[in-house]
Amino acid sequence: MTDFSWSQLLAMDWVEIGEAGLDTLIMLSVSLVFTVLLGLPLGILLYLSAPGQLRARPRLYASLSLLVNVLRSLPFVILLIVLIPFTLLLVGTSIGVAGAIVPLVVGAVPFYARLVENVLREVDRGVIEASQAMGACLSQIIFKVLLPESLPGLIGAATVTAVALVSYTAMSGVIGGGGLGDLAVRYGYQRFQTEVMVVTVALLLMLVQLLQSAGDALVRRFRFD
Amino acid sequence: MARWIDIMIEVQSLRKTFSHGGRQQVALDDVSLCIEEGGIFGIIGRSGAGKSTLIRCLNLLERPDSGSICLGGQELMTLSESALQARRQRIGMVFQHFNLLRSRTVAANVRFPLELAGTLSAQQMDARVAELLALVGLTAHSGKYPAQLSGGQKQRVGIARALANQPDLLLCDEATSALDPETTDSILALLADINRQLRLTIVLITHDMRVIRQLCDQVAVIDHGKVVEAGPVLDVFLQPQHSVTRSLLAETGLGHGVLPASWRERIAGPLLRLTFVGEPTLEPVLDKVGREAGLRVNLLSGTLSEIKGTPFGQLLVAVMASTVEVARLPEIFAREGVRCEVL
Repeated sequence: MTDFSWSQLLAMDWVEIGEAGLDTLIMLSVSLVFTVLLGLPLGILLYLSAPGQLRARPRLYASLSLLVNVLRSLPFVILLIVLIPFTLLLVGTSIGVAGAIVPLVVGAVPFYARLVENVLREVDRGVIEASQAMGACLSQIIFKVLLPESLPGLIGAATVTAVALVSYTAMSGVIGGGGLGDLAVRYGYQRFQTEVMVVTVALLLMLVQLLQSAGDALVRRFRFD
Repeated sequence: MARWIDIMIEVQSLRKTFSHGGRQQVALDDVSLCIEEGGIFGIIGRSGAGKSTLIRCLNLLERPDSGSICLGGQELMTLSESALQARRQRIGMVFQHFNLLRSRTVAANVRFPLELAGTLSAQQMDARVAELLALVGLTAHSGKYPAQLSGGQKQRVGIARALANQPDLLLCDEATSALDPETTDSILALLADINRQLRLTIVLITHDMRVIRQLCDQVAVIDHGKVVEAGPVLDVFLQPQHSVTRSLLAETGLGHGVLPASWRERIAGPLLRLTFVGEPTLEPVLDKVGREAGLRVNLLSGTLSEIKGTPFGQLLVAVMASTVEVARLPEIFAREGVRCEVL
């Protein structure tokens, strides 16, 4: 491994780093949007169907729960490969940024859904009961009580998921997904270019920091006092 | 004096069993009640007696195993889910722990049931919210969140919210149990006010006899899932029939005319219990009868108080001397409007 110096920093291919950064941002944002869009309903369904809840369906809950656990226990690298035929079917390609988004979403949805379920369980039972006593129907309970009451928690869960997605994107290089993590592996590790490793890791760190502070700021913004 | 009374709620043979890990526990055991319109009906019992289950059955938050609940002539048990939701919009409920939405301001919490009903325009809703906040005295706090309010203020929001859709029935589930005594008084006064102003039927549950005394017209005592005693508050307070009622009264320092057993042997002479209700309470009846009947008494215990504006008193006395037969005393006291029992 070579020593790190400032001249090497200047000699680096910044265009490639920039492109990789952009790829990471695209993968992250697109998959985060889909993860929330799919994970939120799945989380609500998990919450509602759990034993003792508003629409208790123990068998449905057990099957959903099992599916979520299976997907969460698969290492992401394996999920990437296992999903290749499915990705191909869905977006027409199984490689590159587009090919990476499908497995990213499939990997993150169960994660986010489980977090959503837990956040919803924190909603005061008495408040739900009060809205039932006021004659609220199920959709009113979901959209006027459960979601608004747990908004800070849902944002917090999305932040945790976004950070997890950043680390998932690093593995997308396996299927040519690109991005900063991939760059770090290919140049920094495989070609012994420590400076690339340092810069990409620093950029990823900044990204995670940024996501976390943005998430925290949103949580503060929507806290109720 | 006969008075035509409309029945608001008729509960018949309610039965509810809970199973805890395979063990069956009877919460309500053949409960029947009649609750008249426009009054305040209190249900009292110890914790675990079934009172909470009973009030939650009145809007079917808890569905009984069997029995019937007739509300203003309508049977609740057979309503479809949507019909029940529509009916519930006109039954207000106030909770011990307020159960406000913490994501909504005071005004938005009061607006919530109006949004659920969806019958008013946005402007009409705002006007109604302003009216309700004025009624409970929270106009100045309309923009605050529940987390910024005191317990009493939160309960006022809860009451305003419960009244939003102009209910014909208000259910109070231990509405003052989480509040300090002073705040309790102000909330009870507010409920009494609402009952008077809106002619709104109120059903409340409590474990506190003082709440019953201050607020209720009728009371039912519930123990082990059964109604053991029911009637006008004054009757139940002054002539408690069931041991649970007596001990509930005694615990709150409201038990009257009961002598510690060890005293009885040390007191000579027959015992009289004199019960004053209304005007005679404020008259010197004992003095007057004492002169007429040559009655000299030893005063053992006594109380003077008020139940919902009606003064009442109860004295326990031992007869030291009397020129008339003790057995004739009840008749003499009765002439003065005082009930006398020879014990």
